Order: sequence, then C-alpha cells, then structure tokens
Amino acid sequence: MIQVESAPRRPWIPFLTLLAALILLVLPMQELPGGFVPDWVSLVLIYWALAFPVRMGVPIAWVTGLIVDIITLGIPGAHAFTKSLIVYITGSLALRIRAFPIWQQSVVVFLLLSLELASLVIISGLTGEAVTGLHRWTAVVVGALLWPLIYHVLRRSRHSSNLRGS
Amino acid sequence: MVPHAKSGFWRGLAPYLLSSIFLISAYMNIGAVKVAASSLAVIGIPIHFVASLPSMTLAAMQGRLTTTEQLRRQSEFLREQNLILRARLQRFEFLENENNRLRELLQAAPQAVEKVTLAQLVAVNPDLGSLTVLVNKGNADDVYIGQPVIDAGGIVGQVTKSSLFTSKISLITEESQAVPVQVVRSGVRAILYGGGKNRTLRVMYLDRNVDIQPDDVLVSSGLGEIYPPGYPVAVVTAVERNIAESFMNIEARPMSHLGRDREVLLLWPAQLKSSDHGSDAMVEENSE
Repeated sequence: MIQVESAPRRPWIPFLTLLAALILLVLPMQELPGGFVPDWVSLVLIYWALAFPVRMGVPIAWVTGLIVDIITLGIPGAHAFTKSLIVYITGSLALRIRAFPIWQQSVVVFLLLSLELASLVIISGLTGEAVTGLHRWTAVVVGALLWPLIYHVLRRSRHSSNLRGS
Repeated sequence: MVPHAKSGFWRGLAPYLLSSIFLISAYMNIGAVKVAASSLAVIGIPIHFVASLPSMTLAAMQGRLTTTEQLRRQSEFLREQNLILRARLQRFEFLENENNRLRELLQAAPQAVEKVTLAQLVAVNPDLGSLTVLVNKGNADDVYIGQPVIDAGGIVGQVTKSSLFTSKISLITEESQAVPVQVVRSGVRAILYGGGKNRTLRVMYLDRNVDIQPDDVLVSSGLGEIYPPGYPVAVVTAVERNIAESFMNIEARPMSHLGRDREVLLLWPAQLKSSDHGSDAMVEENSE
C-alpha cells in the first residue's frame, strides 16, 4: 500500500496512529461528558491525507470508516461513506491547505468535521436509526480547537518515521 | 506530487461512496448482512481490550495501594452491609413465598425467578455523544435485542444491538427511549420519556388532576413487555400544573447510575426464560 521512495524507517507509523485513534474512540471515559469527545479517527485521517494525499487516500479512509462502524456496532458503511468523503476533499485541496497558517487549518478542519457530522445525521435519519441531538456539534468545535495539538503530535510522529513526499 | 491528478472524482471517490451506500442498504434490507456485521464485530475485541487496560490497571492498583487499615474498615463496612441486606432478603423470601401461595390460591401463574448476568462496560458513548454504552456480553451469552439492563440503583436501559461478544445498551435517558412506569404511592400509570443528553426525563400526557407529586418514586409497570414490573426507574423532581394546558409538565431524575459504574446486570425476565425470546413470549402471555 505504501510506495517506498526513500526507505522510510517506520512506514507503519500512520497505521499505528490510526489504531491509537480507534482505541481512543472506544475508551470508556466515565468522567468526561460524551459530547465533548471529538472524532479522533477523522482528525488523524485528515492529518495523513494532508501529509500524503495519494498514499493515505480514500481507500484507507474507507476501510478505517468500516472498522469504526463495525466495532461501535453502527450501520456498516456510514462512517466509511463520510470518512471517504472528507479524506477525498482533504486530499484534493491538500497543497492549498498545507500552505495555510494553523488557525486557518482549524477552520478547514471545522468545516470538514461539520460535513461529516451532517452526512452522518442524514444517513442515520434515512435509515431510521435514532438521530441524536445537537450536542454532537460541540464535539466538532472541540475537534477543530484541538487541531493544532494533533497537528504537532502527528508531525513529530511523521518526522520520527522519516516518511516523506506524497 | 500532484494529488489526484489521474484519479478524479469518478475513479477516486465515487466507487467508495457507492459501495458504502450499497452496504448501508444491504444492511437495512437483508437479514444475513446484519448477522455478518455482528459476527465481524469480533475484530473489535482487541481494540476494546486495549481501551479497557487503563481503567483495569487503575482498579488493580487501587487494590494494591490500599493499606491494611483501609481494607479492614472496608471489609467491616461490607460485612455490615451484607448483614442488613440478608436480613432484608429473609423478609423478601418470606413475602415471595406468601405471594406465591396466594397466587396459587387465586390460581394465577406463580412468578418465576429471574436470571441475571453481570456484564462489564467496554465503551461509553461509542457513537460520539449518543447515550449508549457497550458491554462485554453478546449473542454468545444469550443476549437478545430488547433485553432489560439494570444496576444497583434501578433500570439502566435496554439492549438495542448485539454482536457475538459485545452488545449496545441504549440508556433510558436517550431521546428515543420510553419506559412504562407506575407511581408507587398512587398506582398511576404513565410513560417516561428520555430527554436526551443533559436533560431530565419527562412524564408526558398526564391529566392535570392526576395524583403525582415531587419525590414520588416511579417503578416499571411491566406494560410494554420489555421491562419487568417493579424495578425502580426514576424519582419525580418537579411537577408543573399549568391551567392553560391540559397535560402536566413533569420532570424526573433516573435512579440508576446510567453506566457510570463499571458493571451492569443483564436481566432475563421470567416469562421469557421458558420459551424462545421475542414473539413466542408475547403469544404465551396473551394466552394466559
């Protein structure tokens, strides 16, 4: 799946961070109110789609979304749909977004997460599953606010893995 | 370095979106796909296991770090608690026997014993903000959709989805949930609706003149055939009688801990135990 260009030391780093995001997603956090926990998986996918628009593209997003659906006992295909969509948009605009200052990237992340949530609400509405309330939008805002932190953490992991290029 | 130069929308995205839509519609319409999805959920087990490690180690450390003195005090407390509960249970057994005898005299069916299983929480709010929890019991442990779940305080919710080894419990506070309840003091029957996140439970469509007041305890009435009768559900916190409206505004607070504990109890109601789950049980009840 990864086309090796300059012998990266640890090409599995992106997948490890995705796995960490999946674990964070199902981590039982009794103290934190659920509405404030952002979708870690989407944030990590957006980062890697910005860094490697071709390698970490739609197929990986689709598979990851399907795993999310399956392990949370959701509708299989719902997260696969939304995550492919946002990763495609991120990948197409990657060169432009990468040139943005970090706070503008946060705005872009906010828009992407909003798009994902809107399509998730539409999908769950169409399939007759319970459409939960507006409090999920707080998670979108929190996700956008946490973007600088996630950006720096993942960039360090990328540099340690010596992955370069697209 | 030109992203998506050769694969545009039609080759880069459309196939994935279409296959997602295909999956969703297959899931909604074909039963076999649902079964396949629930058995595929076993791939989540290692992820759930790793996610449960921090809280598990924390619990283990708490056991190691407590002093002998604390342990002695704790065991003393538990012993007392146990004594009190056993004394109450004796009374309960006596009452149950008496109740069964009276039921026999009336030639009504005796109430059979319910079966319970302890289940551990593996995730809280897996769908980001929905009011559900995942537990580590699934179809392999005879969990079924619509199974009532309780904890030390009262009714927590019902199972709304189950895979082989995990199942999803919708809490009674979720907007789509409703519990048929009865006021202990006055015997009034009503339906308790979930209000959603950070909102109180609501009792709706009760006439202005119905006997209900703050601090009334609401127990499950057993109507609706999901929750067995007699389990505590909520306490009324506010009753607002408005002359202009024909119904009252009643708010209530759940009595159970709603998934804040690490364990919940899955309940197999007595009527469902003898027969197959679901429709058979309902037929059986109707014929009684």
